Amino acid sequence: MHLRTNQQRRTSRPTWLLMAASLFLAPAVMANVTLDDDPAEEAEVEEDKEEILALVGGEIHTGLGGVLRDATLLVREGKIAAFGYDVDVPEDAEVVDVSGLRIYPGLIAVGSFGLFGSSGNLDDSVDPYNQNMTLALAAGITTAVDGNSVAKLKRGHVDGLVVSSSAFESLSYSNGNPQGQLKVENDLKGAADYIRAYRAWEQEKKSNKEAKEPSKKGVDQKALRILRGEIRPRFNADERTDLLEIAQLAQRFGFRPIINGCREGWTVADELGRAGATAIVTPRTRRPKDESLLREGGSSIENASTLYKHGVNVVVVPASRGISLGGIVGQDLLHLPVEAGFAIRGGLPELAGLRSITIEAARVLGVDYRIGSIELGKDADLIVTDGDLLHYQTFVQWAIVDGEIVYDKQAEMFFAHIRPRPETALAPAERMDSGEEAPADAPEVEPAEDAGEEPVIEEPVIEESGGEEPEANEDPEESEDPEESENTEQTAGSSGA
Amino acid sequence: MVMLHSIAALLAPALAAAGSASAPAPDTVVLHVGKVLTMNAADEIHSPGMVVLEDGKITYAGPVEAREGGPDPVLALDTWAVPGFVDLHTHIHSGGFGDINDMVHAVNPELRAAPAYRPGNGVIEVGRAGGVTTLFGIPGSGTNMGGFGLIYKSRSTGGFQASVVRDPGGLKVAQDSNPQRRNASDVGVTRAGMEWNLRDVADRALGAYRQGRRDPALENLSRVVSGDLPVLIHTAGSEGVVNTARMWKVKYGAVAVISHGSFDGWKVAPALAAIDIPVNHGPRTIDYYSSREGRIVGTASEFVDAGVPLFSLNTDSGVIAEEYFFLQGSMSARYGADAYQMLRAVTIHPALSFNLAHRVGSLEVGKDADVVLWDGDPLDPRSSVRSVFIDGDLEYDRDRDGQLF
Amino acid sequence: MILSPLLLLGPIAAAPAAPVQGDLFVIKAPRVELGDGEVMEHAVILVEDGEIVTMGQDLPIERGIPVIELEEGQVVMPGLVNPYSRVGMTGGGYNDSRPQVMASAELYPSAAYEAFLENGVTTVGQYPAGQGIPGQAVAIRPEGDTAGEMVVEDGVYLKIVMRNNSSAKRNLRDGFKKADDHLKKVEKEREKFDKAQAKAKSDKKSKSKSKATFVPPPADPRVQPFFDLREGKLRALVSIRNAASYEHLVDAIGDEEFDWSLRIPLTRDIDVFHVADKVGERGCFVLMEPLITLVPGTLRQRNLPAEFERAGANLVLLPRTDTKAGFESFLEDVGVMIGAGLDRKAAVRAITHNPATFMGLGDRLGSLSEGKRANLLIFSGDPFQPDTKLDAVMLDGKFVSGDMDQ
Repeated sequence: MHLRTNQQRRTSRPTWLLMAASLFLAPAVMANVTLDDDPAEEAEVEEDKEEILALVGGEIHTGLGGVLRDATLLVREGKIAAFGYDVDVPEDAEVVDVSGLRIYPGLIAVGSFGLFGSSGNLDDSVDPYNQNMTLALAAGITTAVDGNSVAKLKRGHVDGLVVSSSAFESLSYSNGNPQGQLKVENDLKGAADYIRAYRAWEQEKKSNKEAKEPSKKGVDQKALRILRGEIRPRFNADERTDLLEIAQLAQRFGFRPIINGCREGWTVADELGRAGATAIVTPRTRRPKDESLLREGGSSIENASTLYKHGVNVVVVPASRGISLGGIVGQDLLHLPVEAGFAIRGGLPELAGLRSITIEAARVLGVDYRIGSIELGKDADLIVTDGDLLHYQTFVQWAIVDGEIVYDKQAEMFFAHIRPRPETALAPAERMDSGEEAPADAPEVEPAEDAGEEPVIEEPVIEESGGEEPEANEDPEESEDPEESENTEQTAGSSGA
Repeated sequence: MVMLHSIAALLAPALAAAGSASAPAPDTVVLHVGKVLTMNAADEIHSPGMVVLEDGKITYAGPVEAREGGPDPVLALDTWAVPGFVDLHTHIHSGGFGDINDMVHAVNPELRAAPAYRPGNGVIEVGRAGGVTTLFGIPGSGTNMGGFGLIYKSRSTGGFQASVVRDPGGLKVAQDSNPQRRNASDVGVTRAGMEWNLRDVADRALGAYRQGRRDPALENLSRVVSGDLPVLIHTAGSEGVVNTARMWKVKYGAVAVISHGSFDGWKVAPALAAIDIPVNHGPRTIDYYSSREGRIVGTASEFVDAGVPLFSLNTDSGVIAEEYFFLQGSMSARYGADAYQMLRAVTIHPALSFNLAHRVGSLEVGKDADVVLWDGDPLDPRSSVRSVFIDGDLEYDRDRDGQLF
Repeated sequence: MILSPLLLLGPIAAAPAAPVQGDLFVIKAPRVELGDGEVMEHAVILVEDGEIVTMGQDLPIERGIPVIELEEGQVVMPGLVNPYSRVGMTGGGYNDSRPQVMASAELYPSAAYEAFLENGVTTVGQYPAGQGIPGQAVAIRPEGDTAGEMVVEDGVYLKIVMRNNSSAKRNLRDGFKKADDHLKKVEKEREKFDKAQAKAKSDKKSKSKSKATFVPPPADPRVQPFFDLREGKLRALVSIRNAASYEHLVDAIGDEEFDWSLRIPLTRDIDVFHVADKVGERGCFVLMEPLITLVPGTLRQRNLPAEFERAGANLVLLPRTDTKAGFESFLEDVGVMIGAGLDRKAAVRAITHNPATFMGLGDRLGSLSEGKRANLLIFSGDPFQPDTKLDAVMLDGKFVSGDMDQ
């Protein structure tokens, strides 16, 4: 690659032209000239087309409890490269002044309908300009489950959307189907026996080379994967009896169930907590108690909160998984944070409410290593809001997916007229590279040796001591949101007449 | 911050003092709260503030003051005292969605909703836990003139007598879409036919009234055309809304309230403002399909900004469950309206629109002691109702009754 | 056809008998739209054997050469080029990949072609019917007694239909993949051949004088067009339906490099404005109708032809409908777009020079300069004004339509 750098210096042509050319030349040159595979050189090629986005002056809510006021967040190559107070913003970065605004991780909808405008294979049929995708971004959603795929709302792109192609592994275990229940039990039992026999064989093998490996024949593969902890099965269950049986099954075989619905979960929250369950709930769901039963039952506004207090991880979805513009407002994906607000109404701590539509959703989908919170190295899927995300008047100003601004409230027709963003926030800060010669200048001074340098990593400063991520089985009372005392400040009355 | 105490527990000594089983509530309750939203004409907000409930009425609402004698104040500084909400368009008086439409005749001035009323039914109870204390329970919109609704409180104790504020409370008319008798060989398939149905009977009632003739079937309707009882008219769309307003407000001079005004109804808001007719909006509060340039229009703000004098919201429960009444305000505030205006739209404005403001809609001396204690901004989905006093009686208490909503 | 007073008043009437029939003549025109957007006033155009030999301002004219002197106010413009039509064609199509199909096979002279000349279209690209990859287009002159006489050039572009679905993307990807497979096959054959040669060499006994050369196996006719694309011998016209299908096109193309342009039918609500900048950056040809469209779901109007042109695309305008009615209102429709913000010079290019260049015929026609075919139109005034009349149409130096027909 030094060869190419020399070429660059010899020529006075705009470097960007050369860079483009070198991308094509590079493999050939490398194959012929340098025989060893030097990763630093790969990195340099990458760095040539690097795009850096800097969000400056915002209040960063990591989604894990940390809040950094008037901080900077730097995105490189679509990943969160740095955030904190002393972040150096490179000259060629695209700078967006977000002072007075808040930055949150993009929201995740664990169920959706019609956001991708696609039928069948998402990669080949997504309409990345369809209106619902834009509206979902306006609601702060940057990732959604479509069918059984976890995909990003990467507006304007048709590739790189799918984060995972198997969002859930469903398992049916309902009281209404005893035969099915029996089969699930037998499958799990068979798998458990197999695992036990396999472990015994592993031990025996050490002393007895003749030991025979147990046969996999007849062992249900899904059950095996569940018991090995490779997947977490998802059950659809609302009734107390079903929930109890799932919890017991999970404890008996030692896996952590995901329970979708979980309407009467509050009546058996302790059991579900012991089973390490995650509940996907719609806090506003309404079902009166069956009056013929003496026990507790029906829906409860306190469901999410009660589950959480018993160590169940809570994920929130709205009643309607689509986007509705029919006029009746507040029940669809456009209002995902409102739905989380109802969980908080029932007693869920603020932070857990935020987590229920971000990191907990990512965890239940098995994609929390990439998305769901603001952490170094994670995908830069971010939203910038004009206030507390969970407040009913807050709007998303920008949505960012993989470091690219894919939604700008003022640039779209839908909400631009509602409390328009002040001009100061509209205008991005002066860019250093707006001059004619700037693009040619930038790489020239860059010695090849420095090209592979690691980006500056800024340790995030956690301001609030009480805001640490709570463990699932910790007492949730300890993890009140640091912002809680502020909430009452956002009063309806204060706006006056 | 004050420790969260059950209001019921705080009231317990007073309850004990009252002693009598027939009088479940103490005579006097003094609420010392973090904030009092009076919703009075001066828009007074007292923070902190005090509300005194005596014999079912409000005898004081203002800044905190030392009081001689009487019971100790109930200290609830982490709550807001807000007037009970008033919802003018509801169908839950029967406890569900049934038993409200008599579909034989298009015009039913002789019918009343009251016979179907089940006081304090389960649906009403949850609505109360959402802060709704006064409702206009009305027939559905299946016929042009569904009949007379009743004004009632969402209280569970005291039965019919204690809960009903006014019966008949007002007339329900439906003038667009739903009542069009598409499958009937009857007058009223079109707007023209519906108008004739309504005008014909209204003219007869007016005639009876002027001649002093007593006609049992037209008795209540006579009170409407003479301005004694209000009328709530289900209507929608720009042309429907204007027609309705002209007919009831201009022609008959009735105390008329436009209800719904949905779809592109907001486009004629200035015309409604010009003739001073109140609008009771909902359950739809945004309009996309008839908006200009693809804007998502918050319709509440369009009505308010156009100068509609008394703008109020409704749930049309159970189209939207009664307890989500506050959310109609939140969402209207989200989509462009002023949040305080939306609080008016669920309290004093509906009360004023329907000749109820002498009793409910604000925290003012002499009015019914319908006070709701919220643990924050009532429009915020995260806030919930701590306690509901109706006529001074503690009808709901989160800690005593469990959180219903 | 309506007789114009020009026939009586114009110098043609006074000129010697049938000057236009001769091999050599001159047109003196007060104003000429050259086709590239520029205008020449007081132009003298010398035409010989259907080709413009010389052209310039106020050139002296040799005595004896017949002169067609146009009136003040008359405007000359290159013959219109419509690169995307099926008028006169009747065949049906399929939904799969048939890149080897030639639209020229369908070509048959008929009265239908008169609609082109009557409305000033002197060159037409006719494309094969069907979805998927239906085949290759032919450039024709809408005049002639046999298909052969009509053909200007065959295989001017390969039509590809791109949609937001797997099969459309597969058609394109598979085409290139099959080309790669063929190359691998050739490579294998060559290795085999080389081995055999080497063996033959080492085998001294059979040392013969015949020096065999490797003959690669011929490519399947369905594969050949993809080689042609890669080698720049063929260009592609990709029909897309919305912004998403553009993204899917780019995705399906991947790293392949070939010359491709876009056909974007403008329906009432279309969201291609999302990709106007990207398309403009590519600088490819974009074929669309002169239509004001709406942003989907709104009443907001957009002049997409103008937007794409401003973004850097080479605009080609097509009649609103591929019918006689569409041809008749075409120039007026283009005029409306100019009124709505489309650059006038760009509009002229979009109906003459650009479509010709798109089909690889830009060195022969589509503009008026030395060496170009004498395909030209004579208008009574500004071609884009609704009250302007098309007085005459000249194709290869001969009046073929209009009042100047001899």
